[in-house]
Amino acid sequence: MTVWPDQLAPTEAEFDTVDMTINIGPQHPATHGVFRMVLTVDGELVVDCEPYIGYLHRGLEKLTETADYRQAMGWWDRTDYLAGMCCEFAYCDTVERLAGFEVPDRAQYIRVIMAELSRINSHFMFLGAFGADVGSFGTSFIYGWRERERIYDLFEEVAGDRMFPTYIKVGGVTMDLPENFESRCRWLIASIKQGIEDLDGLLTGNEIFVERCRGLSPMSTEEAIGLGITGPVLRATGIPWDLRKAEPYGIYSQLNFDIPTGRNGDVFDRYFVRLSEMYQSVRIIEQCLAEMPKSGLVLNPDLPKTLRITDAEVYVRHEGTKGEYGVFGMAKGGTNAYRMKLRSPSFCNLSALRRMVVGSYVADAVIILGSLDIVLGEVDK
Amino acid sequence: MSKAASLPYVVTPQIPNARLADALGAVAAQFGATLGQTKSDVNLDVPADRLRDLVRTLKERSAFQFDYLRNMAGVDFGEEGMAIKYQLYSFRHGHTLQITVPLPPHNHPHASVPSLVEFYGAADWHEREAAEMFGIHFEGHPNLKNLLLEEDLHIHPLLKAHPLQKAEIKQGIEDGPAGFNF
Amino acid sequence: MSEVLNPFGSEIFGIWNWLDAIIRVVIMVTVMTVVVMYLIYGERKIVARFQQRLGPTRTGPAGLLQSFADALKLVGKEDLRPKRADRWVFEFAPFATFVPVFITLSILPFAQDWGVRNLPLGLFFMISALGLEIVGVMMAGLGSGNKFALLGAVRAAAQMISYEIPLVLSLLAVVMIAGTLDLNQMALQQDRYPYVILQPLAFLIFFTAMLSELHRAPFDIPVAESEIVGGYFVEYSGIRWSMFMLSEYAAMWGFSIFGAVVFLGGWQFPMGEDWGWGWQLALTMGKSLAFIFVMLWVRATVPRLRIDQLMSFCWKVLLPMSLVQILANGFILVYGGPYWLLTLTSSLGAAVLVAIIMRQAFRRSSTKTLVGAYRTQLQVPAP
Repeated sequence: MTVWPDQLAPTEAEFDTVDMTINIGPQHPATHGVFRMVLTVDGELVVDCEPYIGYLHRGLEKLTETADYRQAMGWWDRTDYLAGMCCEFAYCDTVERLAGFEVPDRAQYIRVIMAELSRINSHFMFLGAFGADVGSFGTSFIYGWRERERIYDLFEEVAGDRMFPTYIKVGGVTMDLPENFESRCRWLIASIKQGIEDLDGLLTGNEIFVERCRGLSPMSTEEAIGLGITGPVLRATGIPWDLRKAEPYGIYSQLNFDIPTGRNGDVFDRYFVRLSEMYQSVRIIEQCLAEMPKSGLVLNPDLPKTLRITDAEVYVRHEGTKGEYGVFGMAKGGTNAYRMKLRSPSFCNLSALRRMVVGSYVADAVIILGSLDIVLGEVDK
Repeated sequence: MSKAASLPYVVTPQIPNARLADALGAVAAQFGATLGQTKSDVNLDVPADRLRDLVRTLKERSAFQFDYLRNMAGVDFGEEGMAIKYQLYSFRHGHTLQITVPLPPHNHPHASVPSLVEFYGAADWHEREAAEMFGIHFEGHPNLKNLLLEEDLHIHPLLKAHPLQKAEIKQGIEDGPAGFNF
Repeated sequence: MSEVLNPFGSEIFGIWNWLDAIIRVVIMVTVMTVVVMYLIYGERKIVARFQQRLGPTRTGPAGLLQSFADALKLVGKEDLRPKRADRWVFEFAPFATFVPVFITLSILPFAQDWGVRNLPLGLFFMISALGLEIVGVMMAGLGSGNKFALLGAVRAAAQMISYEIPLVLSLLAVVMIAGTLDLNQMALQQDRYPYVILQPLAFLIFFTAMLSELHRAPFDIPVAESEIVGGYFVEYSGIRWSMFMLSEYAAMWGFSIFGAVVFLGGWQFPMGEDWGWGWQLALTMGKSLAFIFVMLWVRATVPRLRIDQLMSFCWKVLLPMSLVQILANGFILVYGGPYWLLTLTSSLGAAVLVAIIMRQAFRRSSTKTLVGAYRTQLQVPAP
């Protein structure tokens, strides 16, 4: 039989291929919560990405307007729920600066210790979950979890609760530390260091992991700043911008620590900046333990029973675990905040997702999302 | 990006607000803005129609170089109107500026502000959030869909008039007017 | 002529022969099911130990009955079928994956002349039957009407077809030395030294390609849990899902025994034929369990490759290396070189393969310096 030219098999250019949309989330192991992104893919290549958020929207800002300054606390540590103490710290700092309260010295140190432990906790979660994103079957997850349990145990001893302790309070902290805190904390630090090294060996020491992450979605500092990216993702691009140094709050100006930075702003740098930051947090905690006043007040005794703050507005920015955790507070008399706006780092970092993901593989899109280290409680408010 | 911005970034310590306020005096006069001070930052009140020019100047002039939009917050004052607060930051100089744009109340035909997406990519989601929460229209925004709320839910929860509870929210009903009754 | 007509005497059509085959198959299915259940239990236990957990402990002593409980639960689950699924394709896909795996098991020699049947072309049959598994995978992916399943199936097709070539070529290198495709004969020939000593390069290629054929980490791209949530069997539930699991673990076991027979001397090395079938069986199982343990070890520690890295590794590294192995074998065998020359060339090849993989590791030294640079820059205490 003669094969005529028009009966020959079509070449690739003649095939009529269509792009396919894949819906990832809101229930998907890679989205770390209830985040949804719709990927348009051409084979394995991502052509477009549309993020959808809001599945965890609880109306935090509206709720805060309806409650007393101190009652609203409980909603705020549920924003970045992996590092509740950091959020409490920022919220309380906002109220204190609106009203002009002082915080006792010992309470300042306790706050910093708790915030840094929270930061380590959150970064452990990141390392574990990121390893799972890259595909290491949960081993990194469990390694991270081991240390997180120990940190949470310490939180429970100190504050009575693990994830949402509501320990930091307007004007200080709720109660003084338990007697054996220092020895417990030193033991915990040793354990944390071991945990970081374990994860470092498991992930950084693995060739496939490094090969998957290096050079993936690199980003320049200018671009990152324009997109409003902060935190470890920004520092990975090479700029040592950390609000604990750039605009120090609390007692951070008295502490000695370094800011880890990356070089290319790629996924590996983001991972490694977080890994290095944990060592710095350990350094901060060690300094705080050494320099902390051994006794003294932990709560400002001059606080009124009912907080009424006259006209004032303030924008307080803290270095949260994911970046700039800013709280815009506005008071117009009364016992409630007139307006409390959360500028959450995850929200702003996530808004750059489309720019990072388009042009990569589906498998890499998951890793890039993981490298942003979003917390949906913070994104959706 | 201007030429100066391509230099390596050096993070400088925060410049005292007083010096920034001095430097801003001329700019404020040029754009009909009034200088003020909040508990943390210098504040600049500017009308909505001059916002875009002001921001362009602040971003491009080498004395300021506000290259980072750190935050955007809408505030509702009920009958008195609304306001949008922008917090800008300069990585080169390390200073922060708050810009306040007063707006008429909700449902007023002029309750709109120019979008800052062309200057700051970060403004995209901030403006979408403010648009759904306050019903502010951002002129020139490419995609002003709902972000946190559902797509067919046309309520503006952060308005003071919006009740906290017991609102009968009509959602996804094609025939009736979308919105809430209270 | 009379033999063909006599239903009891014929070799192929005789009733006793059929009965014998059926009994052996039934025993094989039962044994396989139990083995798979304990493989799953073993995987859970071993990976749990890698992850500082305990694994199943509750059901039965030390959780030994956990897999039976799981199987019962799976049988009791509702057999769901998506509305958009192609009914017959969807429902028959589990069988289409399971049957090829099972017929490979039916020709494996577990001890001397122990097995359902021993075929003179056993190795060839094994490879051909395993090649059929892709049909079931594609059926599942296309029939599910799910995009994740489709992606997984297409990934699986690309991966399995690519890796079959180095797999077959590495086996061919062994066949060149053995001069037979009969698995029993191959085991018999390894009485003094197993073929892994003669052909380390072929063994490395075989093991890598085997991991890929089985969708085990780091080649678990078609079933990537964190990307496409299970891949081609994402829509299955209950008994059909358990069929996929069964075929996956049975394939793992079958491949391990196959590798043990071809490369590690099977039931023959090091004890020979005199020790009786009990020892031979234990030997085969022990060697196959060693294979499986290494697979679990890899799975617990190594992340997943990307699909382009996987493909380039296959076509640019494994395939040329297996061709080099065959060429070297051909020269040595044609010119009658001694066996130690085979070992030498193949070891050299294996060293080259390891070096190619470690070329990344040389770059890893730069990673180390990168890491070191960060560390010095940060004054972070080095671990």
